[in-house]
Amino acid sequence: MVEKRKNILFFGILIFILILFPFVVTNYWIRLFTGIFMYGTLAQATNILMGFSGLVPFGNVVFFGIGAYFTGITMLNLGFPFFIALVFGASACFVFAFVVGHPVLKLKGHYFAIATMGISEAIKQISTNVKITRGGMGLNLPLVPFEVNTSYLFFYFLMFSAMILVTLVALWISRNRVGYALRAIMSNEDGAKSIGINTPHYKVLAWAISAFFTGLGGGIFAYWYGYIDPPSVFDIGISVRFIIMILLGGAGTIIGPLLGAFFIELLSETVWSQFLFIHLGVLGAIIVLVVIFMPRGFVWFYRQKFSLEALLENVRKGKL
Amino acid sequence: MLILQVLINGFLIGGLYGCVAVGFSLVWGVSNIINLSHGIFIMLGAYITFWLFTLFHIDPFLTVPISAAILFSVGYLVQKCLLNYVVGYTQQSGFGVFLSLILTFGLARVFENLMVGIWSGDWRSVTTSYSGLSLHLAGVSIPYIRIAVFGVALLSAGLLSVFLYRSRAGMAIRAITFNTVGAQIVGIELDRVYNITYAIGAALAGIAGSLVSLIYTFSPFLSTPYLSWAFVIVVMGGLGSIYGAIVGGILLGIIESIATAYVGPGYQQAIGFIILVLLLVFRPQGLFGKKFLK
Amino acid sequence: MGALLSIKNVSKYFGGLAANKAISFDIEAGEIIGLIGPNGSGKTTLINVITGNDVADQGSIRFKGHEIVRLKPYIINRLGIARTYQVVQPFIGMSVRENVVAGVLFGRDGKGRKMGVAWERADEVLELCHMQDKRNEMVENLTIADIKRLEIAKAMATDPDLLLLDEGMAGLNPKEIDEALDLATRINKMGMTLLVVEHVMKAVMSISQRVVVLHQGRLMAIGTPEAIAKDEQVIKAYLGEKYSLRQKNRGEVKRL
Repeated sequence: MVEKRKNILFFGILIFILILFPFVVTNYWIRLFTGIFMYGTLAQATNILMGFSGLVPFGNVVFFGIGAYFTGITMLNLGFPFFIALVFGASACFVFAFVVGHPVLKLKGHYFAIATMGISEAIKQISTNVKITRGGMGLNLPLVPFEVNTSYLFFYFLMFSAMILVTLVALWISRNRVGYALRAIMSNEDGAKSIGINTPHYKVLAWAISAFFTGLGGGIFAYWYGYIDPPSVFDIGISVRFIIMILLGGAGTIIGPLLGAFFIELLSETVWSQFLFIHLGVLGAIIVLVVIFMPRGFVWFYRQKFSLEALLENVRKGKL
Repeated sequence: MLILQVLINGFLIGGLYGCVAVGFSLVWGVSNIINLSHGIFIMLGAYITFWLFTLFHIDPFLTVPISAAILFSVGYLVQKCLLNYVVGYTQQSGFGVFLSLILTFGLARVFENLMVGIWSGDWRSVTTSYSGLSLHLAGVSIPYIRIAVFGVALLSAGLLSVFLYRSRAGMAIRAITFNTVGAQIVGIELDRVYNITYAIGAALAGIAGSLVSLIYTFSPFLSTPYLSWAFVIVVMGGLGSIYGAIVGGILLGIIESIATAYVGPGYQQAIGFIILVLLLVFRPQGLFGKKFLK
Repeated sequence: MGALLSIKNVSKYFGGLAANKAISFDIEAGEIIGLIGPNGSGKTTLINVITGNDVADQGSIRFKGHEIVRLKPYIINRLGIARTYQVVQPFIGMSVRENVVAGVLFGRDGKGRKMGVAWERADEVLELCHMQDKRNEMVENLTIADIKRLEIAKAMATDPDLLLLDEGMAGLNPKEIDEALDLATRINKMGMTLLVVEHVMKAVMSISQRVVVLHQGRLMAIGTPEAIAKDEQVIKAYLGEKYSLRQKNRGEVKRL
């Protein structure tokens, strides 16, 4: 109980700090953190599928793009106000994942990963050719109706809220039956079926939820940047990036993906913006190191270290 | 007549597609590494041919072995210094399998940017004195270059086949495909075999790249289509199967040729990927047998 | 009142091989019925066919009057059939208690259950299986005997009417076998119907009221343990032609 109270207090303070933060720093930092929150949202969204069930949706960026485009198109062509367009876009992603998920989630391991990649690339090319997306020319979204400083704050808090929301959903799932079903499926799909788990249903549900929040991130991104085109919003590099964040921080944990997002985005921005070409190569190298030294990510590593310490304590005290 | 032209175009280019896929299929089938750098290796091969032709006026077809040799070395180094650390994980289940995807993806971006830095992103192509000549037969025109490309592609596949089935190294490679533990028991050093396999895969990419330079415009940023063809063909033709890669390549070539003629050129890749997904879902055993499900 | 499970003329082919051929027998509610047979006789296949992991090519299986042949495994579980696996299938990365709660959440009546109720029910099952002291242990730290007991607990958590135990005694020492038999008997006394697949003869023969013998995919004999032990054909199937002749000549019959 004390443990739980300590955690809530800690996160409460953290959130409080993050809320005050944008009022005391320059726009540069606000933008940086907005980007961190975006990746935090994306990483956590995909963590819902990947962390609990072990399936890696390499092509999940497709929902980022679909969310971005649906938001943009409904605002431009149908005059939807932003928030409606945003929810519409995210819901479109949910539906798409739900429909496509049933056949595609029958695939195992890296074949599922490749299929999602294929879907993303196909949608990317189709978007480049279809008129409604303005094709390769890109889409310009309506301008944000605020003046500059306000809009920085607006998107900061919007992304922050999205990240908190998806994290709460992930937390809720990890504690309820959906979380158990997914973990059982990851551990042993046949065993899961034998105790009454409708495995396709849960896999599809998890993917659809991750799609919704990825699309949410995409929609906010579209309005934030004001301009989107297929190569930038359907970029597999984005998927790879947030998957690395999940692995780094600890798949299946709740703070792990957020830590991963924070770390990688900060590092990218402050150190590597000079070294474009080694950027992703170094990312790859980090993964090798992480896998060798912290195979399950930082959070698990941290927890193990502490339980090892506890173990040693007990030995010392003569309890063992 | 149009349909015959379309079919022949597709058939011939399909040989090249097969050549593109064969190296990718080999590495995946043997080492369980999904080499997302395969596309950029092809580009590298194309550049090698381009510069040898442009600077030293060496006939492109003669540069093929040089391209293969250079890419062989590059591949060998990549596997030895980088991928071998990750191979242990790729053989397991769990997230380890994706390391090869992430690593090779990152590596591809590194190569891509290096190449842009050195050679710029300008679109290149190789045009020889005989590039425009065609054979005219039965109302269709068949560029000689395409026939030659088809021939070289098939020749490479054939050489690979001979190597795999008639040489000791080839046998070692085939042995670990079936049973890594069993192979090690008879003294086959896994690491060395992985090195050679990846190197061969890269060399084949180099050969494909040299051929690509004669037919397509290329640049470091245009590597994705080749990867997508490789994926589709591997699924169609079966993992690790040379025969499957060639036949799958020809089939894909014909399908894309028909699609381009009757639907429009922009959707080429999309069609390829859609076929990929449909195949994975509805016919996971490919056209020749190897299953992608449990 | 009909039988609890009624298997009629069930056949299952793998390629050209008939793993199960025209098998028919009934399981009555409340009984313990053993399923024995030499390796490869089709016992596990039959279990898989009953639970829906494989689909019978011919025949019908009726559970409480419903035809279950083409139903999915999770639906069959919710109707009231649970099983353990020969190669144990615990959910690693979760504790003993969490493994059992998974069964409670998804088995029969699982849908409506709230987490709090589910945890309580899980504890009840653990208590029944004498595992409550190990409930927070991670599955990776358990002994093989405990993992097998956990398998049974997980299956029980889904609240079945019929429990299929697939070679749960393999790899256990005599003391552990006795504990497992004790658990099986206790569950049965509570009203659970059991189908026990076993190679450990002493175990299955001592606990079963009836025994079914499979041989090369067919049902060879069915009867009480005593009758089966004396059955000439059964002896021949297990121990070979020579042995059964030798027995005949000796004039004695060995209990298996």
